[in-house]
Amino acid sequence: MKILTCPLNGPRNIAEFTYGGQVKPMPNPTEATDQEWAHYVFYGDNHIGVVREWWMHTPSSYWFIVERHNQTDEVIRTYDPAELFDAGAAPATEPVAADT
Amino acid sequence: MSLRSPLAGSGVIEGPGGLRLNDLSLARREGVRGAGAREWLMAQGHTLPDAPNQIVASGVLGWVMSLSHHEFWLLQPDSEASLSLPASKAVAVGVWPLYCQHSHAWLQLAGEPRDEIMAKLCGVDLSEAAFPLGSVAQTQAARVSVIIAAHQNQNGQPVFSILVDQSLVRYLWETIEDAMGEWLE
Amino acid sequence: MTERLPLPYGSRIKRDALVSARFDGRELPALEGDTVASALVASGQWVISRSFKYHRPRGPLTMAGQDANTLVQTPAAPNRLADELPITDYPETTAQNISGTLMADRNAIIDWFGRFLPVGFYYRAFYKPFGVWHWWERMIRKAAGLGVANLSASPRYQDKQYLFCDVAVVGAGPAGLSAALKAAEGGASVLLIDEQSELGGSLTYHRFAIDSSAVRSEAETLIANVASHPRIKVLTHALCNGWFTDHYLPVIHGDRLFKVRAKSCVLATGSSEQHVVFRNNDLPGVVLCSALERLINHYAVGPQGGLVVLAGNDQAWMTALTAAEAGLSVAAVVDLRDAPDDAALLAEANARGMTVHIGATVYTARRSAESQSLSGVDIHRIDAQGEVGELIAQHDCAVLAMSAGFMPAYQLACQAGAKLDYDDDRAAFTLSGLPAGLLLAGSVNSTHSLDAVLADGRNAARAALRSMGMTTDVDESVTCAAQVNHPWPLFPHPKGREFVDFDEDLQIKDIVNATRLGYRDVQLVKRYSTVGMGPSQGRHAALPTARLVAKATVRTVSETGVTTARPPVKPEALGHIAGRRLHPHRHSAIADRHDAAGAQWMPAGLWGRPAFYGEPDDKPRHVAEEVTAVRTGVGVIDVSTLGGIELRGVDAAEFMNSFYTYGFLKQPVGRTRYAVVVSEQGVVIDDGVAARLAEDHYYVTATTGGVDRVYREMLRWNAQWRLSVDIANVTAAFSAINIAGPDSRAVLQALGCSIDLSADAFPYLGFRVGDVAGIPARLMRVGFVGELGYELHVPSLFAGALWDAVMEAGAQWHIKPFGVEAQRLLRLEKGHIIVGQDTDGMTHPGEVGLDWAMNRTKHDFVGRRSVDILAASAPIRQLVGFSLDLEAPKPLEGHLVIKEGDIVGNVTSCEISPTLNQIIGLAYAQPDDANPGDLIAIRTEGGVLVQARVEALPFYDPDNARQAL
Repeated sequence: MKILTCPLNGPRNIAEFTYGGQVKPMPNPTEATDQEWAHYVFYGDNHIGVVREWWMHTPSSYWFIVERHNQTDEVIRTYDPAELFDAGAAPATEPVAADT
Repeated sequence: MSLRSPLAGSGVIEGPGGLRLNDLSLARREGVRGAGAREWLMAQGHTLPDAPNQIVASGVLGWVMSLSHHEFWLLQPDSEASLSLPASKAVAVGVWPLYCQHSHAWLQLAGEPRDEIMAKLCGVDLSEAAFPLGSVAQTQAARVSVIIAAHQNQNGQPVFSILVDQSLVRYLWETIEDAMGEWLE
Repeated sequence: MTERLPLPYGSRIKRDALVSARFDGRELPALEGDTVASALVASGQWVISRSFKYHRPRGPLTMAGQDANTLVQTPAAPNRLADELPITDYPETTAQNISGTLMADRNAIIDWFGRFLPVGFYYRAFYKPFGVWHWWERMIRKAAGLGVANLSASPRYQDKQYLFCDVAVVGAGPAGLSAALKAAEGGASVLLIDEQSELGGSLTYHRFAIDSSAVRSEAETLIANVASHPRIKVLTHALCNGWFTDHYLPVIHGDRLFKVRAKSCVLATGSSEQHVVFRNNDLPGVVLCSALERLINHYAVGPQGGLVVLAGNDQAWMTALTAAEAGLSVAAVVDLRDAPDDAALLAEANARGMTVHIGATVYTARRSAESQSLSGVDIHRIDAQGEVGELIAQHDCAVLAMSAGFMPAYQLACQAGAKLDYDDDRAAFTLSGLPAGLLLAGSVNSTHSLDAVLADGRNAARAALRSMGMTTDVDESVTCAAQVNHPWPLFPHPKGREFVDFDEDLQIKDIVNATRLGYRDVQLVKRYSTVGMGPSQGRHAALPTARLVAKATVRTVSETGVTTARPPVKPEALGHIAGRRLHPHRHSAIADRHDAAGAQWMPAGLWGRPAFYGEPDDKPRHVAEEVTAVRTGVGVIDVSTLGGIELRGVDAAEFMNSFYTYGFLKQPVGRTRYAVVVSEQGVVIDDGVAARLAEDHYYVTATTGGVDRVYREMLRWNAQWRLSVDIANVTAAFSAINIAGPDSRAVLQALGCSIDLSADAFPYLGFRVGDVAGIPARLMRVGFVGELGYELHVPSLFAGALWDAVMEAGAQWHIKPFGVEAQRLLRLEKGHIIVGQDTDGMTHPGEVGLDWAMNRTKHDFVGRRSVDILAASAPIRQLVGFSLDLEAPKPLEGHLVIKEGDIVGNVTSCEISPTLNQIIGLAYAQPDDANPGDLIAIRTEGGVLVQARVEALPFYDPDNARQAL
């Protein structure tokens, strides 16, 4: 069984983790075309190389990022998502009057 | 009004050589989490671990366990659980109280073969060499999430504190009892 | 019993401990330490089994549990290896796969018309004309398979346990011992695993040198050092049956499967000695050289009747010396080569007066009719590769020991991704391309001379230590010039019966014919001929097969290769895989109360939930009574399994607003709102009720099965949004009950409640925190079952006290606990959907009437764009309520909705409503047919179509007056 190194909990059996899909940039949901949106929602890259993925250590509910080579299955690096997402990435607040 | 442990039954299994599994679900435990948790606990006079997944003695009453940089549980094996509604409002800015008294049952396993017993259930090496006193593992045992902490009981004996979702404690108890079987004969 | 050899022979037996045993119903004298096979050979019997296809008599080949010739039946299980079974544990064994007796098997006749059973016979013969297979099948099934499963055997307790170490060494022969010791001396914790009962591997039987005394004392020292090293844990009688990623090794030891987790791993698995392929090479008494050495050294068995040694390498000459020293009469040494590499061997043989034939082979083995075993051999001169010339000698003998070379025990290495390449100079396969931290040592690594093997072991340990950063030592040089493989030990005979694969009774022509039929790839040859499929998994068949296929297809042996090695290495009992039951199950904190009230349990994910209360035989009546209690009086249900998630922080409202579909910014404190989650694809994945406790504090419920996913998704989104909110899964922290029915308020009042319960002060969809019966609680006014109702959420340690208080206070209103069956019916009457039951992996909000819960005016929520795209496209289906008269056949969940012969939807819920006195349900239908009064056709059991009326939802209390009381 593969071992994955969680940035918080250290090396653990892969069975302790939940896969969360590839990290992919979301197009602007209000400006993207239907095609662009569908591509974001339903398609994943399928290139050989290093991919960036979401993984969660299930017992501690800790999400982190894994950089993994999808051909050799070698894990290059694991790290906290704060490295990718800073506080500015939060969704904008909506117009106040719109709430029901 | 009385509190009931989620573990029905006697709550103690004893074997030769100090082997013992007991239920501490009615002992006191509380927790806080948030960006300000560390500073707040220090200001309360607690001794805190330096890093996540460690446990240290704090005062005479108990132990402080770190589950991340921002989450700490206070385990007080010799005090009784509180009868009041656990606090839910912030105790300070960025310090949220946790409901670990009610969410997690608390078992304690003492005795020399405790790491071998747990090796039947858990993929983390819990031998003293790999998991010395003061270590904490958030992991899975018998296919359910658990927190295992290596520390000492009131007699100074090394023990594992095992904290598990209270709805799973009956299952985990039966499973550990089964794993203890060869030492109970 | 024939005499055993004197000491020091017999390392595994106790000479004074006689064991009374029986084989096939006859007395079998034995000693403690014997295996069933060694006791049989000691008693003069070579025949142990009958072969799979031709029912030819067979005897031990390897004496090491590596061949299928020794399969016997024990009282509890078939197919046990007689050369592995300790006689003390298995005093009663019988032969299997026979019709009649072992020595007079009626099916042996098959051997005589075997030429009518060519390879691939089954595939080709029994399928024409069409249908004839069914006739043949009965006969073939009876003949197929080996042994008899004991269906009344009681299961044993088998379990699993992790074992952790720095270095796992598989194989405790000289290479493994040397690697283990070096690794331990370097500070590593070492686990040394071996199948045999003692450490030493080949050191326990092979002499390695003409004068073996120095080797023996070196071996004793090495074994003693390993056995006494504090950092080495030794597991003998242990089988490492696979290699999995990151050095995860399943090791079977008795009734336990160890899951070994090592930081690095040394494979010192050795090599399988190879047989020579000649006519009747399967006769009992024809053994590998190592098997004879094991018999002599381990069991002090010195077979009588004369020995011929057939040598493809110098090792076999050592066997001849060992046998002669032990007093066996060596009739001849026959060498396939022109001379032994070490001339001293020839001199030694001559000095001992052995007859030697050089450049010759055994071409045919002869069989004694009485013992059905070997009686003699015909020696022919070798003229060319695989071709023999004239008969040069005949020898009478009871034993033929042969060695054509060694095949690395490649299985574990190849499972790890290693490649096998054929070295034409050495006529041997070699391994390369192992993953990091996996090392080879010894003969599996193509080193054979003892010094080289020991050095190779030390080097493997150094490499393992280096991979863990525990040493910077460089390797010592290892040279091994030993040529152990003969390039072509295959001698076709016009009459055949030169076995390549003993398990499957495959001869040279069977392999060659497979290639002629077009199966050129060795994988296809395997599947067509079944070569290598038997219990020995190609240990002896792979090399000759590769050579034969290569020659027949005019390719190199490297190009031909061997078939893929997959775990397990050796057959393993399913009990080892099954192990102990580890099926987590969740209990509500008040499960014992439900038991006391007669609950019948049903699974809901990992949870057990009361389905209803009362005798199972009377289920419809109990459910109806529970429904009636809720509709007319008061009932109580344990809803602790509901998920609970708490969100606290200055951004809690913004998070709620971004995650759920509805607007939450302006939700008043003290009120609840329906909360729907859709995926990014726009599919409804969960729903719940969100209560606002404070400006910065929400408590949201989720479905029993959905909460983990919802919680996970919340955390993942906030790992990106990075809002200031603490998200906690508090499902276990709170237990919950729902008190429902017209009398629920009265019960709550009687309990003593610190909250004003009047409809004005605590209206429908209100949320309050207060004490109930002195217990701190969160209260929600909910309407899932369509009556006045209160959901009480209390910290779990209080749940038992709360339940008891409710039952006591509710007694005067005849409060009745109700289960999931009644709840599902009650909510169906109200037309409430259950996400996961009434929705599927494609359901978008518009299809289930949740458009109102999509707040399109706010900026964004997860899945918003997908929901918009779906809402703008033509609807395909719509969830509708339907009704049927009670006399109609009741549709079941999953039954199809049919329109003009096409499937247009399916039933998701359907019940008999005692309140409405009709069958009601929910089903997906075409949007054209979704209006009340439309008819939809449902195909029920037996294909009966019923016309159901589409009804407006809810079925019951359409004005929702009752829940708002």
